[in-house]
Amino acid sequence: MSDAHDSHGDFGDLQMGTHHVSSALQFTSVLIALLFLTIITVAVAQFDFGGANMLIAMGIASVKAALVILFFMHVKYDTAINKIMFLSSFLFLSLLFIFTLADRATRQMDHRAHTIKTPVASEWVHPNTLNSDH
Amino acid sequence: MSHDDHHSVVIPAPGPEFKPHTVAHHFDTPVQEFQSAKLGFWLFLATEILLFGGLFAAYFYFHEQYPETFVVGGKQLDWRLGGLNTCVLLLSSWTMAMGVRAAQTSQKKKLLMYCGLTVLGAAIFMVIKFFEYKAKSDHGLFVFSEMLGGYDTATGQLPWFTDIHGVMAGVPHGHMFFAIYVTMTGIHGLHVIIGAGLIIWIMFGAAKGRFHAGYYLPVDLVGLYWHLVDLIWIFLFPLLYLVP
Amino acid sequence: MTTQVPPVETATPGVETERKTYLNVTKGFMSWAGTLDHKRIGLMYLIGTSAALLAGGLFALLVRLHLWEPTGMLFDNAEYNQVFTLHGVFMVFLFVIPAIPAALGNMILPLQLGAIDVALPRLNLLSFYLWVTGAIFAILAIVAGGFDTGWTFYTPYSLYTQQAVGLIGMGVFILGFSSIFTGLNFIVTVHKLRAPGLTWFRMPLFIWALYATSILQVLATPVLGITVLLVAIERLYHIGIFDPRLGGDAVLFEHFFWFYSHPAVYIMVLPAFGIISELVTVHSRKPLFGYKLIAFSSLAIAIISFLVWGHHMFTSGQSTYAMFAFSFLTFFVAIPTAIKEFSWVATVWKGSIALNSPMLYTLAFLIIFAIGGLTGVILGALNVDIHLHDTYFVVAHFHYVMMGSIALAFFAGLHHWWPKMFGVMYNETHAKISCALIFIGFNATFIPQFIMGSRGMPRRYATYVPDYEPYHKASTIGAMVLGVGVAFMVYYLVVSLLQKKRAMENQWGGVTLEWETPTPPPLENFSKPPVVTNEVYDYSKLDLETTITPAK
Repeated sequence: MSDAHDSHGDFGDLQMGTHHVSSALQFTSVLIALLFLTIITVAVAQFDFGGANMLIAMGIASVKAALVILFFMHVKYDTAINKIMFLSSFLFLSLLFIFTLADRATRQMDHRAHTIKTPVASEWVHPNTLNSDH
Repeated sequence: MSHDDHHSVVIPAPGPEFKPHTVAHHFDTPVQEFQSAKLGFWLFLATEILLFGGLFAAYFYFHEQYPETFVVGGKQLDWRLGGLNTCVLLLSSWTMAMGVRAAQTSQKKKLLMYCGLTVLGAAIFMVIKFFEYKAKSDHGLFVFSEMLGGYDTATGQLPWFTDIHGVMAGVPHGHMFFAIYVTMTGIHGLHVIIGAGLIIWIMFGAAKGRFHAGYYLPVDLVGLYWHLVDLIWIFLFPLLYLVP
Repeated sequence: MTTQVPPVETATPGVETERKTYLNVTKGFMSWAGTLDHKRIGLMYLIGTSAALLAGGLFALLVRLHLWEPTGMLFDNAEYNQVFTLHGVFMVFLFVIPAIPAALGNMILPLQLGAIDVALPRLNLLSFYLWVTGAIFAILAIVAGGFDTGWTFYTPYSLYTQQAVGLIGMGVFILGFSSIFTGLNFIVTVHKLRAPGLTWFRMPLFIWALYATSILQVLATPVLGITVLLVAIERLYHIGIFDPRLGGDAVLFEHFFWFYSHPAVYIMVLPAFGIISELVTVHSRKPLFGYKLIAFSSLAIAIISFLVWGHHMFTSGQSTYAMFAFSFLTFFVAIPTAIKEFSWVATVWKGSIALNSPMLYTLAFLIIFAIGGLTGVILGALNVDIHLHDTYFVVAHFHYVMMGSIALAFFAGLHHWWPKMFGVMYNETHAKISCALIFIGFNATFIPQFIMGSRGMPRRYATYVPDYEPYHKASTIGAMVLGVGVAFMVYYLVVSLLQKKRAMENQWGGVTLEWETPTPPPLENFSKPPVVTNEVYDYSKLDLETTITPAK
């Protein structure tokens, strides 16, 4: 952690982040890449890759998002602290995703565990499964 | 504040058509002011990511729960219109980036032109969105005039989801996909409108010559906001129109 | 009087010679309503949050009075639901979350950083007005018929109750943004406006705590925003996301809600830790034991707090595997928290302890927080929690943290910085009596709740079986003592403002930057920008003269 940089003395960042002017050529190249990736997105959606469908779609979207963030939003040339602050939002968002979806995905397993272990379970419907079939 | 005796740094205007900028008095340097505002704005964008993140989490949650509903629901949306709108937003992001560049290089006319083009992109996006919504409303997939109608708790019949053609008949809770679709695109659409409003505000400032190589902070920040709107749509498009 | 005996000196008659401070530099309503000065905004927050505390406290007393009899004394069941909901909403959203960061933090943070103001003063004012708007929505919701969902707004009940949940939902949404903007502002201020020489490891620990809090405010609160927004949309349009009748899932609501509200517990308690860290060192006149450990443990708590929210949902029907994970991770919070507690105790050890009233509040905190924290570890254990869930044991646990720790730390900070803020000193004897009343009253209120909770008394019930009567009666008597203590505190603090007994320039002998400016501070804090050359809490550098010079 470079303290001298961060306090009143941010002048060292004058080149980095403060006044970086990207070339028009760079912006246009990024735009072409984004449009091309949009075509790819539509194209791959025509095929069924089974369980990988979601991964592929989100993978392409993430590449597009990375292009927008790095170049259109200048993050590539921004200060370290701005990068950390913005990108940490994705990190914390992933926590919401991981735990919430892990709960959703493992509830059915739960149900089977109950039906095997508890003798009266055939009579009993686990509350989590009430929604899913009717 | 009356304490200008403290010290006020003034950034000179690069030309007669521009205005100088006075740095807020509690900052020592223009760089400090720029960096502070920018860090603050990045943090604000982080909150936007988490706000939309909640909606995306809900999407994945119910996609896991009702996969067929989402696949069949997604087929009811026209991916051609969605794809067109994606291209419109990507282009408008490009014009916005070019607009910021024009501000950085003190090109007043170009800044106004690119901002105007971006607002035009926002308008086209919303018009296409409107026709999409209208088509869905006509098919009873979400009837706007009935949205406030409450529902019959005994039968669970929703007045806003009549599904006239019975396209969702074979899947459980057919309305869930459209509920998520309308909520996500609705809140996104709200951001498009707010973004367009901010860009118009930038254009007023630009016309007065407030933004130039020495001071283009508001243009930069509004640009970031606009790219965020684009960023969210990049994920919405495949998730809603091409449900995996 | 343990340390200094302030000479009794009344206000000098020559008003013209009065030094200009932030309090009197400009006059008139607009000079306050439109102010960008962080101290004035902090003061307005202090008045607002204190009013919310008193209102919330009044609701609490009503709840306790009602429970004097097993059949309930004051309300019917529906009214009782409203009163405890009002208590929860006022205390959580209007008092505990904003009180320390927005009121004391606003006042002290720029001073401790050696800055003129926060980095984004207009955003600061906006944040205050959002708080006011949120408070107005809360009052409107009461006028429109009240709300009875509990402060958690659990679906599906909150979707169907015929009460003003929409209005209070909007209020919470707006209060959320108020909190976000305060946090955002503090992060930027800490990064960009530190005085020259004030490196990260020279920052007072109150700043570290507020910084960690701010991260939570910025990253967790938006999820609360989208959650209450979805509840509002659900109530209006019946989209079905949280409504099991329409295929939605109430557990998803709980995930969203606690993704915010668990970190929110640390939004509330981390600033309290910060205050305690400051106070143990100043009033023990000894550098903090484990400064870096305390600083990093704040950040560690902030991060771990995002991994444990499911421990509020052990009986909600989430997957067993998720519960294992959440229960396991919950125990990790105890590590950085215990590091703090031990460090504070080690700081006091062999210090030159001055039992001033802020220190008494601090010591009360150390005792109460140990109980509150350890009962939290008990509740984090999955199997135990299934039995104790939604009992008075839980109520007592979180009141030991929220009221016993956070409110006490708030009082401690208030007493500590009161002379700095106003240049006047309250009656120390009164303060000590009040602190004793609050400490005794608090424990008398909540120890019986631990006992009856462990014996099965469920929370949020308007009536109870007679077996619990002695506990409830003891608890109600304790609450009355607590109420008297708080009322007495308000009394002598207001009296101190009227009597204008001068405080010292540096009342407690603190060495952080806020004591290097005149008391009370001038409008722009420092006549010349301070340069920091000392290590933090270096009491050898203290100018003892300032502790016996009356403030001008």
